[in-house]
Amino acid sequence: MRDPGRPLFRLRPGMVLVGLCLVAGCAPPEDVKEIQYRLKWLYNVSTVGDLYAVAQGHFARAGLQVSVKPGGPERDALKELELGHAHFGVASADQVLRAAAKGAPLVVLAQLFQVNPLQWIYRPDRSPFREPADLRGKTIGVTFGGNDETILRALLARHRIAEGEVRLFSVRYDYTPFYEGRVDFWPLYINAQAPIIGERLEKAGEKIAFLDPHPWGVRFVANSVVTTRQMLESRPRTVSRFLSALLQAWRDALDPANEEAAVRVLRNADPETPAAIVRRQLAVTRRLMVPDPPSAFGRIDAAAWRETEEILRTQGLIERPVAVEALFAGVLP
Amino acid sequence: MLHRRITQFFILYLAGVGLLLLFKIALRLSDYVIPGPAEILRTAHVYGTAYAAAVLNTLGVAVLGHVLSIFLAAAVAVIARLKDWVGGFIRTAAFNIQSYPIVAVAPILFILLGDGLVTRLLIAALICYFPLLLSFLGIFSEPVREIEHFYEATGRMTWRLQIKIRALENLQKLNTVVVGSATLAMVGTIVAEFIAATAGIGYRIRIALYQSDLAKILVALLLIGIGTSLWLVLLERLGIALQRKLEGP
Repeated sequence: MRDPGRPLFRLRPGMVLVGLCLVAGCAPPEDVKEIQYRLKWLYNVSTVGDLYAVAQGHFARAGLQVSVKPGGPERDALKELELGHAHFGVASADQVLRAAAKGAPLVVLAQLFQVNPLQWIYRPDRSPFREPADLRGKTIGVTFGGNDETILRALLARHRIAEGEVRLFSVRYDYTPFYEGRVDFWPLYINAQAPIIGERLEKAGEKIAFLDPHPWGVRFVANSVVTTRQMLESRPRTVSRFLSALLQAWRDALDPANEEAAVRVLRNADPETPAAIVRRQLAVTRRLMVPDPPSAFGRIDAAAWRETEEILRTQGLIERPVAVEALFAGVLP
Repeated sequence: MLHRRITQFFILYLAGVGLLLLFKIALRLSDYVIPGPAEILRTAHVYGTAYAAAVLNTLGVAVLGHVLSIFLAAAVAVIARLKDWVGGFIRTAAFNIQSYPIVAVAPILFILLGDGLVTRLLIAALICYFPLLLSFLGIFSEPVREIEHFYEATGRMTWRLQIKIRALENLQKLNTVVVGSATLAMVGTIVAEFIAATAGIGYRIRIALYQSDLAKILVALLLIGIGTSLWLVLLERLGIALQRKLEGP
């Protein structure tokens, strides 16, 4: 039985706050204690902006506590997003499209690489390359199942080179088959691996060059920042603050004026890569990521996304079409 | 025996898949995280034949690797049972080699031997060799006093006879160890294929993982389970037949 002396309705401070918020038109608080941000790969130059945001206080200034976790071959940021183990993640467009084709409720917030960093290293004196037709009869490394396989197949298809006209070589992390000359073209990330491998080969007196599929008509989107639709709808301001802080950190990290700070941040996370190499990596990363104007950092290239979707569909890697525009977050609050 | 083992495997497999599907429904997960039954069946229909061929390929290498490791472990155990310096050295070497993770040793093997059949075979043999060696060492080092005493007293004991006596007296134990290590051979081969091969079910699993395609992995697991069950039953039958033959009528 209710105590007659007890008031039927007691006004509590929390209720007053909510009431004031409602009157003032503000949304309820978005309580995320620590944001989990899962990267696509291990800490390297392709994650410098993510690390910079933590080290230089971009997230803290936005009132966010963010844990940036490295990715890796056995990590899938998109699955972690859906399972609720991460709030934000980095994934390549092919991963996002495959997941979306299977009903994963994802939203693309920003596109980090404006140009895909995946290229093929080759020795111009042994395997001269002027145009894709020169690939005929060559041994080309691909990671079967990886996006380099998809990109290469798209390149071959675009230039009407039958698969039987080239020899595909299954690639692993070990470059020995390329060093030994058993493989003519070897896939690598031009910003992260090329400065390391290139230096090694140049020291050995070898000439090297890179085959970039982009000028040959293959636009395949690489890393993007992703979250779930639920996260965007339930915590739009957190998403907005996170993205603003992250993109500003990327702009700052890739600004030549902040190069020493960026090198320091990256070397703290990855002490095994020498500073001189990191500087070369940063220079290449800048070319691939910073758009014109730089303020548009993170710009989503819808046409390139549509092309990526078409490549995946043509190769049977997604079974149903994906409406790419529906994946983009649009304007955030 | 075969029917029972396959049935038991199916019960376990279906329970596992059922648990995943419950998880999917409870958390409302998309087919990307956990594929639905229709997706799994479709994948089985499309990739079943290719994956079955890949499992047979892996099984072939696993069987060869297993046989190789049995002979290798038996030979090493025969020498290592000696209480002299050579025996001690072989025991130490065996323990040291085993303490290195195969994922660290494998790249060296691939540089030396390439990513073909020999490397897969060697890794499969390395993974199942050590438990075999330990068991063989235990069996071959333990004297069967009541029988060996007679031959020693009459001066007719040779090292071959000693090994025969100890093997025959522990036939049941040897059979169990050999059958038990067969699964390790399969695991070893799959690991080798996963790290650096261009054939076999481990290689197919690697590609499926690159594509985040759990349906393919579930199909692969089903076929691996069936393949391994068949191999184990065959081994058990061989062991029983051998035991009966040696024990006589």
